[in-house]
Amino acid sequence: MPKTTGHDNDIAIIGWSISPMVRNIEYTEARMLLDVVTGAVNDAGITRDDVDFTCAGSCDYVAGQAFSFVQNIDAVGAWPPKRDSHVEMDGAWALYEAWMRLQIGDIDVAVAMGSGRSSTSDPELLYSMEMDPYYLAPLGADAISFAALQARSLIEAGKVTERQMAEIAARTRKAGKDSPYSQVTGDFDPDELLKTDYVRNPLRKHDLPPITDGACAVVIATAARARELCENPIWITGFAHYTEAHYVGMRDLRTSNSTTLAAKAAGIADGPIEVAEIQSAFTHEEPLLVEALGLGADTLINPSGGPLSANPVMATGLVRISEAASQIRDNGKHRTLGHSTSGPCLQQNLVCILEGDKA
Amino acid sequence: MTALADQRLIGIRSGDRVIVPPREWDPDTGEELAVDLVDVGPAGTVQTWCWVAKPTSQHPLDVPFAWALVLLDGADTAIMHAVDAGSEAAMSTGMRVAPRWKQERHGHITDLDAFIPGETPETNDGPKLDEPVTMMDYNATITYKTPVPTNLVRYEQATGEGRLLGLKCPGCGRLYTAGKGFCPIDSVELTTEHEVDLPETGVITNYTIITPTPYPGQTETEPFSRVHVLLDGVDIVLGYQGMVDTPNDQVHVGVRVAAVWASPAERNENDPMSNFVGWIPTGEPDDTTPGLVNRLN
Amino acid sequence: MSHQPCAIVGVGQTHHKSRRWDVSLGGLVREAAQRALDDAEMTWKDIDAVVVGKAPDLFEGVMKPELYLSDALGATGKPMFRVHTAGSVGGTTGIVAAHHVETGRHKRVLAVGYQKQSEGNAQFALGSGKGASIGAGGAFAPYMRSYIDRSGAPLDVGPMVALKDRLNAFKNPYAHLKIADISLEKVKASPMMWDPVRFLESCPSSDGACAVVFTDEEGGKAAAAAGRQPAWILGSAVRSEPASFPGRDPVAPVGAADCAADIFAQAGITRPLEQIDCAELYVPFSWYEPMWLEAHHIAAPGEGWKMVESGATALDGSFPVNMSGGVLSSNPIGASGLLRFAEAANQVRGMAGEHQVDGAKVAIAQAYGASAQYFAMWAVSSSLDPFGS
Repeated sequence: MPKTTGHDNDIAIIGWSISPMVRNIEYTEARMLLDVVTGAVNDAGITRDDVDFTCAGSCDYVAGQAFSFVQNIDAVGAWPPKRDSHVEMDGAWALYEAWMRLQIGDIDVAVAMGSGRSSTSDPELLYSMEMDPYYLAPLGADAISFAALQARSLIEAGKVTERQMAEIAARTRKAGKDSPYSQVTGDFDPDELLKTDYVRNPLRKHDLPPITDGACAVVIATAARARELCENPIWITGFAHYTEAHYVGMRDLRTSNSTTLAAKAAGIADGPIEVAEIQSAFTHEEPLLVEALGLGADTLINPSGGPLSANPVMATGLVRISEAASQIRDNGKHRTLGHSTSGPCLQQNLVCILEGDKA
Repeated sequence: MTALADQRLIGIRSGDRVIVPPREWDPDTGEELAVDLVDVGPAGTVQTWCWVAKPTSQHPLDVPFAWALVLLDGADTAIMHAVDAGSEAAMSTGMRVAPRWKQERHGHITDLDAFIPGETPETNDGPKLDEPVTMMDYNATITYKTPVPTNLVRYEQATGEGRLLGLKCPGCGRLYTAGKGFCPIDSVELTTEHEVDLPETGVITNYTIITPTPYPGQTETEPFSRVHVLLDGVDIVLGYQGMVDTPNDQVHVGVRVAAVWASPAERNENDPMSNFVGWIPTGEPDDTTPGLVNRLN
Repeated sequence: MSHQPCAIVGVGQTHHKSRRWDVSLGGLVREAAQRALDDAEMTWKDIDAVVVGKAPDLFEGVMKPELYLSDALGATGKPMFRVHTAGSVGGTTGIVAAHHVETGRHKRVLAVGYQKQSEGNAQFALGSGKGASIGAGGAFAPYMRSYIDRSGAPLDVGPMVALKDRLNAFKNPYAHLKIADISLEKVKASPMMWDPVRFLESCPSSDGACAVVFTDEEGGKAAAAAGRQPAWILGSAVRSEPASFPGRDPVAPVGAADCAADIFAQAGITRPLEQIDCAELYVPFSWYEPMWLEAHHIAAPGEGWKMVESGATALDGSFPVNMSGGVLSSNPIGASGLLRFAEAANQVRGMAGEHQVDGAKVAIAQAYGASAQYFAMWAVSSSLDPFGS
């Protein structure tokens, strides 16, 4: 039995906006947010004045400045003063906070945002700052190296091959050609890709995400307000996130327990998932996440091109949820999924399940 | 960490498991672990690895090396560190490695220089630590390259030309200093077409005298003033402005001031903002408008 | 309102000091969290979700440190959430944690706020590494000058607040600053750091953490039945506004007034001075006490300083403020807001020790951040229905 949607207590997505995805944007993070918030409220057919709560996701270390998010509030529109919050996490978690906030019942409309300009620094150096400050950061242990350690674990466990990884890169970057929100796209021959040098053996350049500047905003509303504002609200029927141990040597890198926990808590088993937009920034993470989510071969993965086509850190997860929503509103799908992740080797994972009204 | 300085690798017992590197809490249950430390290794087995052909400035080795998760003998969880194997071809999962220690050790994870292939540790009897390790320092440098927004470029240009540039919101008509980028009330972008020249005289509405404290990069040693200036004839306050050649005891609410620009000889083409030096009293009588002190914005 | 009741059943904090070099980052948050769990008579496995709040990561040099702290916080296999809303973050953290329970999604939630400022240099981080940093004191000093002028407050009021909070700190075993022989004269004789604010009228820079355990109605009632008084959340709210635009008044910000009006409405408070027994307000510089009493419409305009002067805000006064010694006595930024919220809870739980206000039934707490533009508040009570509605 598919879960019935649109109960009085449910929250629905009613609009969103994704910025252009570029290697190096010439304007500020605040300006990126200005555009996507305007785009999202327009998409929802409302104005900033109708928004009761805003929540942003961004990162001081990506921006290179303490309290960097404070400047962004000028673009969001907080006058008269707004109920507002900020998470030092991907915008997908900002959406989670906004989703909880609307369930309190006193307000009806919220906007969640995610934004980041990775172009301003060297991610190879930056992301080691995210690691354990006693055992890992002093080694300069970087995110690509962590991904490569996990990739080899998967390859040697027989869960993926380098050939399959090249095929994933080729498939997603081909899919990205049709998306206005992709950055690195094209037709690639997996055989040719496999002839290129390793960046971190077993990872080659095509296994890595691009460095992207970008932002995303999503408007959500309570059931009654969503029905007023929108013909086809997209219901958030499941939303959960979990974390696991930080130190990768203490985890089984061939699985992603926190993804499985989140999927279960979000009610993934209540019906088939037609499309999953997952934050697999590295090629090998796709089969790992698909397995951890329990998805079958009939689920379409990252038709937008996914993070391998555009990876606006701190917004990548919220873009996934927007793309999953778009599959329902624009492509006639009924039940889709957005996923986000954070930390070395997929330490923390979030699953958001969306359903449309139409069967 | 102290064990590292002694060229020993240790783990901590948690139930039946030995956790390496030792944590203060069980990574799965969060339970506090009694301090039951055991020696592990020194050799161990590579569980997974990757090859770094071009090390970064933060990496422990400046020659190509491998990162590996190494399950040390007697341990139940793997430690991540570098393996100096010489070549990619020498690396494989399941290979045996042993630690190579640095001569100078400080009780730091980098006292372990790297693992090397084989069963035999490479010890290095450098000076012993006198005291147990309680602190470790590490410094990282990250360089950010942020493109300067057009508004700021225009602001800098104007300042270089000796003009105070403002922006007027096309919606509400509020005035802002250039470089602001947005009207935060209307959430509209402010661009070149909204530029207006601002007056170069005004009145001090508020101020503070700051006693400097030392920190890395501090340039001040004597108390200095920062003032809020309401510009003449417009609704705009410039906050936290510097004064020029004005003793702190002459700074108070109501003082009439004028902008001071660098002399042609002092101008620095590379730093147009330095062309604006600050504010100086005009010598006119004080403005005694009531409530001036409340103009903070 | 459709949301479910939420109770605070455990509070813990560290001994706040300028340098807690005896513990790691993990050890610091752990110390507070373990005390909160002990207070709640819970163990790590009882917790369903963890909410972490702290101010800039650049202060310690670890980006998104909650990732590395997941084992110290017992978060493996649980949801872990990270909030950052500048100085108000501790308050926002408490509110977000409460939402986890109020929405019915979780039964027992641990909130932790911390800052280990000795791990980095805050002046460096605040000034982005540049010279002549004005610091928070320099930024807020003009606001206090404006307050003094518009309220007509005598210049002694600031030092009086400082003296009161520093005396209260002696009754709080966890407070960072305990200044021997503190007196009005000593405060007034201390160096003028950011005119009109003196050194002893300013907050310290501290290492410290605070943790709070939230539970649902069933959990709160079970604690009460076992003789452990819970604190019930009567109302909570946040507001943000832009930092600067012509005419914005940072002395009486609209966001602060709106935030207070919101929690008063939720809690059924119409006469704050009568219905609220005590308050923990975010007062990093002395003048903020009267200023915030007025800005949050607790006192009428121009009346805040009179409450200070008359002794009403002292521990034995009619409306005690910052019984714990406040931010003036301990300021681990990321924890400071949660400490205010936790102290309010402990007052209505009757667990504030030597700085307990006799018979406190309703307390409020407030935190603010950035250019006095982020606000968080809550009202808590020993009863779900303190005013017999």
